[in-house]
Amino acid sequence: MKPVVNYILSGIAFSALLLAASCQKNFLDVPVQAQATAATDPNLAVNLVTGVYNSLYNSEAFGGAGGDIHGISFISATNIISDDADKGSTPGDQPSIGDIDNFNTTPTNNFVAALWDGYYSGISRANQALAALATASLPTATKNQLIGEVRFIRAYYYFNLVRFFGKVPKVVRVPTSAQDANDDPAFQTRAPVDTIYNVITQDLQFAIDNLPLRSRAAVGHANKGSAQALLAKTYLHRKNWQQVQALTQAVIQSGQYALVPDYSIIWRSAGNNNIESIFETQSGTFNNSDIAVGGYCTWQGPRVGPRGGWTDLGFGFCTPTQNLVDAYEPGDKRRASTIIVIDRSGRGVGTVLYDGFRIPSGDSVQNNYYNYKAYASENPAIEPFLGNRDRKQKNVRLLRYADVLLMAAEAANELGQTAAAITLLNQIRTRAGLPPTRSAGQAGVREAIWNERRFELALEHDRFFDLVRTGRAAQVMRAAGKNFVAGKHELLPVPSLQIQLSGGKLDQNPGY
Amino acid sequence: MGLFTPTRLSKTLSFALCLLWAVAAFSADKPISGIIRDASNKEPVIGATVRIIGTNVSTGGQNAGTVTDVNGRFSLTVPENATLVITSIGYKTATVTVGGQTELSIALEPSASELSEVVVVGYGTLRKSDVTGSTVTVKGEELAKQPVLTATQALQGKAAGVQIISSGQPGTSPVIRIRGTSTALAGTAALFVVDGVLTDDISNINTADITNIDVLKDASATAIYGARGANGVVIITTKRGVAGKMTINYTGNVGFRLPANLVEMANAVEYANYVSTASGSLIQPGSISTDWYDKILRNGFQQNHGLSISGGSDKSTYFLSAGYFTDQGIVIDNIYKRLSIRANNDFTFNKIVKAGISASYANGDNQIANLNTAYNNAYRAAPIIAAKENGKYGNTSVYQNVGNPVLDIEKNNNKAIDNRLLGSAYLQIQPLSWLTFRSNMGGDWINRNSRVYVYQFNNDTTTFINPGGNQRNPNSILSLDNTRIFHWTWDNLITFNRAFGKHALTALVGTTAEQYTLTNFSAFRRDVPATPSLWYINTGNANTSTNSGTGDKYARNSYISRINYNYNEKYLLTATIRADGSSRFPARNRWGYFPSVGVGWLLSNEAFMQGQRIFDVLKLRASWGRVGNDRVPSDSYTVTVQPNLAYPFGGGVATPGSAITQIKDPNLRWETTEETSIGLDFGALQGRLSGEINVYDKKARDLLINVKIPSVAGDADGVVLTNAASIRNQGLELTLNWRGRVSDDLTYRIGGNATLNRNSVIGLNGGQPILDGGIGANQQYTTRTDNGHPVGSFYVLQVLGVFQNDGDISSYVNANGQRIQPAASPGDFKYQDTNGDGRIDDNDRVFVGSYQPKAYFGLNLGVTYRSFDFSVDLYGNVGNQVYNGKRAFRQNVLDNIEKSMAYSRWTSANGSQTEPAANGGNLPPSTYFVESGSFARVNNATLGYALPAALTKKVFIESLRVFLTAQNVLTLQKFSGFTAELPGNPTSQGIELNAYPTTQTLAVGLNANF
Repeated sequence: MKPVVNYILSGIAFSALLLAASCQKNFLDVPVQAQATAATDPNLAVNLVTGVYNSLYNSEAFGGAGGDIHGISFISATNIISDDADKGSTPGDQPSIGDIDNFNTTPTNNFVAALWDGYYSGISRANQALAALATASLPTATKNQLIGEVRFIRAYYYFNLVRFFGKVPKVVRVPTSAQDANDDPAFQTRAPVDTIYNVITQDLQFAIDNLPLRSRAAVGHANKGSAQALLAKTYLHRKNWQQVQALTQAVIQSGQYALVPDYSIIWRSAGNNNIESIFETQSGTFNNSDIAVGGYCTWQGPRVGPRGGWTDLGFGFCTPTQNLVDAYEPGDKRRASTIIVIDRSGRGVGTVLYDGFRIPSGDSVQNNYYNYKAYASENPAIEPFLGNRDRKQKNVRLLRYADVLLMAAEAANELGQTAAAITLLNQIRTRAGLPPTRSAGQAGVREAIWNERRFELALEHDRFFDLVRTGRAAQVMRAAGKNFVAGKHELLPVPSLQIQLSGGKLDQNPGY
Repeated sequence: MGLFTPTRLSKTLSFALCLLWAVAAFSADKPISGIIRDASNKEPVIGATVRIIGTNVSTGGQNAGTVTDVNGRFSLTVPENATLVITSIGYKTATVTVGGQTELSIALEPSASELSEVVVVGYGTLRKSDVTGSTVTVKGEELAKQPVLTATQALQGKAAGVQIISSGQPGTSPVIRIRGTSTALAGTAALFVVDGVLTDDISNINTADITNIDVLKDASATAIYGARGANGVVIITTKRGVAGKMTINYTGNVGFRLPANLVEMANAVEYANYVSTASGSLIQPGSISTDWYDKILRNGFQQNHGLSISGGSDKSTYFLSAGYFTDQGIVIDNIYKRLSIRANNDFTFNKIVKAGISASYANGDNQIANLNTAYNNAYRAAPIIAAKENGKYGNTSVYQNVGNPVLDIEKNNNKAIDNRLLGSAYLQIQPLSWLTFRSNMGGDWINRNSRVYVYQFNNDTTTFINPGGNQRNPNSILSLDNTRIFHWTWDNLITFNRAFGKHALTALVGTTAEQYTLTNFSAFRRDVPATPSLWYINTGNANTSTNSGTGDKYARNSYISRINYNYNEKYLLTATIRADGSSRFPARNRWGYFPSVGVGWLLSNEAFMQGQRIFDVLKLRASWGRVGNDRVPSDSYTVTVQPNLAYPFGGGVATPGSAITQIKDPNLRWETTEETSIGLDFGALQGRLSGEINVYDKKARDLLINVKIPSVAGDADGVVLTNAASIRNQGLELTLNWRGRVSDDLTYRIGGNATLNRNSVIGLNGGQPILDGGIGANQQYTTRTDNGHPVGSFYVLQVLGVFQNDGDISSYVNANGQRIQPAASPGDFKYQDTNGDGRIDDNDRVFVGSYQPKAYFGLNLGVTYRSFDFSVDLYGNVGNQVYNGKRAFRQNVLDNIEKSMAYSRWTSANGSQTEPAANGGNLPPSTYFVESGSFARVNNATLGYALPAALTKKVFIESLRVFLTAQNVLTLQKFSGFTAELPGNPTSQGIELNAYPTTQTLAVGLNANF
């Protein structure tokens, strides 16, 4: 009977539909689209190592993901904080940087928070890469070299962290979850400074043992010399002069490095990865755009002033102090390639830079001096530039051979080898167009070396650490008119948010 | 009906009438069909019961009969000389003799109240009288008369418990919040169901095509949508054809929009005075005084035309429509156009099998104004700079580092074109009168292309009156973006519907499956020529080309069931349960179970109520339900590798790298909302008064929030999305409608609704307060979502007054005698040192209310006098706060000021305590920027006139109505800014920063039926 047939047919049809709709196997197992997971990336370990290098670019100073490793926060906490540079820009712009400059920093300072975030973000990338490398199927030598490179960068990050904050949490593994990080005291409490230095030393020793010499390493990668130089600098801060001497001599005698004759090209693209370079952030292009440390040049670029009339080059931060400008010896060639001097002669000639760019005279410019080392030409015929002002192609020089020579000099001097120290020091002075030092005696040569470091490495993120390391910070800062409190201002405050998030288990630095 | 009734095989009268009814022919009865309409408004009556009397027929224990469908239609096989009795709650019983008719058109006289309506309840319909949850129905015609783009916007003020927050920007959809805000970070959008297709956006739907909108408000009503129901459900039913004569309808209006409620800015002289004082250097006003808003705003043209054709036979019906909507907007260069086409068809193959489709196509073409920068810049730009002279722009950039807003708009060409096909098809098989199978397949295809072109211009005298500044674009930019979305849903349902004596039972079981896929691709090049015909990627400089693409995919699978039980038309029970599986959660938390139960008591049907003459209908309802929210990103629980973190070893082209930068919560689960609701529905005084009262208590728990974790854990943004917060909304809704009749010529109606809602975060469960609402460089956050306060509460410094002199400043000390604001000057704000530590910082902030209104209300009035009709709709909300973000953004001493600030600023002479001295902005977040958000607005006023039929019929027009309508006629607000109506995310809502200016619309229109 037809209706019955209809009834049965429809029943069957609907049963089939219901089943089809509900029982398709794995219908709900939808993989995440357009994003790889650790399981779906066949080249994970190697890619993660590149990602660790990429963290050298982190430069989010305002709470952005990844924090700040070499951006304005780094510039502020190394250069602006020192007697070599002022906050610059307009008085009202970024008062929190002004707080760093004037030692009014509070635990809520966003730039300080960005540094904490940035360095731990970088350390996390390193830990992730190390975890992936541990299980990666790569030839042992390759694997150890990659591990060495990652541990070099992790050591560099801890070295900056310990100098910024003193005691910091020792994090050398990847937490399995947020809960794991909350439960493990290592993530919540600050390890003693010695413990952190041990991490650094072990990481660098592994790197020294497993990385090739510069000539056998690919350009831009950490190599044996970079690890030796950084370990030397670590020992310099620990006043372990024998180790400083041994390591700097290893670098010097490796035959891989030399001073370049022309100081002025060191920070230009022409000087990228030159014979003097020990470790520097790389820059180039990616996805048809510039890639480099974010904002390094723009934050420090000359800024338009009241009269206007020109397209400025940046926000005008980190301006060299009059104190620095005045401190150079006459005839020091380094001054002209370190400091852009704005024309305030009233003759309206402006300032013509090496690439031909003319900055108008003072009434159109905000500040008196700018950091020449952070200048990147916008003329692509002079320096590579695809038009991304936020990522101008500037290699930030983190370790130079000149630094190694000065460390070697200092170690020699401290070990009583004053003549050897003077020889080393004079290599630097000669290149700078200066006569041999007239200083004599251990104390005099010590002062001379410290002083030479200031000019040789001016605005290269070394000065403040140097002052603290040598115990001169309070005296020099107060002389420069800053309200420096000894025993407090050698370190930055631990960000208050991080203290809150640890449930109060992170302690604060003295005085904050 | 008569399938198994051999006694009726003898009746053969109708055999020849309809060959298609082959199955029915075996029963030898006469098939008839018909439509039942409301006698007063001619609307189809849905769910009316049609019973056969005249012969004492019994069919499987039931009286022979049926119920009308959503189009008011029914089909029956009847014996000869049958008499039909049609009953429907709210209508007088009608008795009709079939006689020789096979197609009947029956009119029911309304008896009493709105409770008679049939409401769509999700996967089915119910008589309003049988509903135990909270739902509200709004007729399409109520919405279509307003000159606005979307039905949701027209819904504003029409329904209690439904808050609509609209921006007025062309081509955008308003935010809809049903019974408060009950999520912080997951999506807050209500679910829209258009003819069975689930979607989040209905801007493609022509309002004129809508029959009804049913809003399901409480958890017991939305539980049938389970994991999608937490924010309420808006069900849209579009029009379908009705068998009979072809009907052609044209409805259209033409008008214009104009800016309303503009904030008056200082003119050149006022500006120069203020800024000279603030900056301490003399500013000369000069001869130019630019009103920047005047330069970027205009009166915009708007039109809306709709043509529909409907009709059909007993085998098939059709509804075809085309609509064209243009909204120029009030910002220069802005225009939105929408073309929409709809075809709804139903086919009756035989007594058992029916099928139909609903298909709509919409093309939205949006020329978007570059509002984000331009509108803010217009507020800040100095009036002493010319906007544009002889084709050259005034250089506000070189003067004050603010872009020229006219140039912002004119040098950007931003266009978005949406093509969208949304439709569904169903197959329905009803083998027995009480059993229906229905399979519904819906699809939503979206193809969205956007194109942004930025012209090349330099900061030289080719473009500007004077050179310099940072507003320039040395290389032209073209970026194209294409997003394709396909979302299908497939429902398979079985409905049982039987009555046994005094028991009536409807049961539903079914499954649904859906899948969503999104594919995105974008491309970018510089140096693309300025000629629009060359705005394609290949004309640009290939050395600058970049591209990107992404995708998304998720699936859901659900099992649903519902029972509606009615005992003796007095006691009602509804119970539902839905099991939802979502791919967006890890396997162990993938399934969620969402039950609900509702009970109802029709007191008016009790014997003890029969004597009274006040209430026609009185119904008490109570319900409880649990619903979920799975609107979280699909990658929320999967640890992914971030690609393209490249590094150029040795310079040149970089090597791609990657990193694992996010910690994910592997235990992510559903947001769950539980709601208890009690309501009373009543109709009284012979249908003149009707209304309802609802109270609800809604607790949402396991809400997803970003929990901050220590940076050392290695999460790049320092937050992990996890289930931590709980939010509670408690409220009271009141709806009252009065229909009055003064004479046959003059009738009127008054409807009002009000909603009181209290929103509060009741637990963060280990999560940290959410700080949000940052404005500019200086105000990093202005809101705090924290325990015991509404979501997104403003959290700012308390202004105590203004320092009048140095003595005030030195005497402002804390308990220890520390000077609290030693650096202040007379004329500066005096802030409260809340924690008494002797300084003003973030720890001194206090909660000062939120954008969540304490109450909102709507009032709808209508009067009909002979051929004239007049209606007014009002809407308002009270008890909330808004933040004057434009004023807060002011960060440069050269930024313009509001005219009122020029005159009310503190001077030692006037001693103002509320307005500081002339200043350069950069003020901290404080109560100075927090203002009352209360407003009341006449949303719409419409006057219509129906031309005499005798006249129109001469030109073959059945009926013709002309009307004059005004949207946003009048707004009363305390807020000094542009608009207190500010859509946004829950945690940063109510900040006026780049809000589209409020507009008024005036339009004339006509509605003709042929």
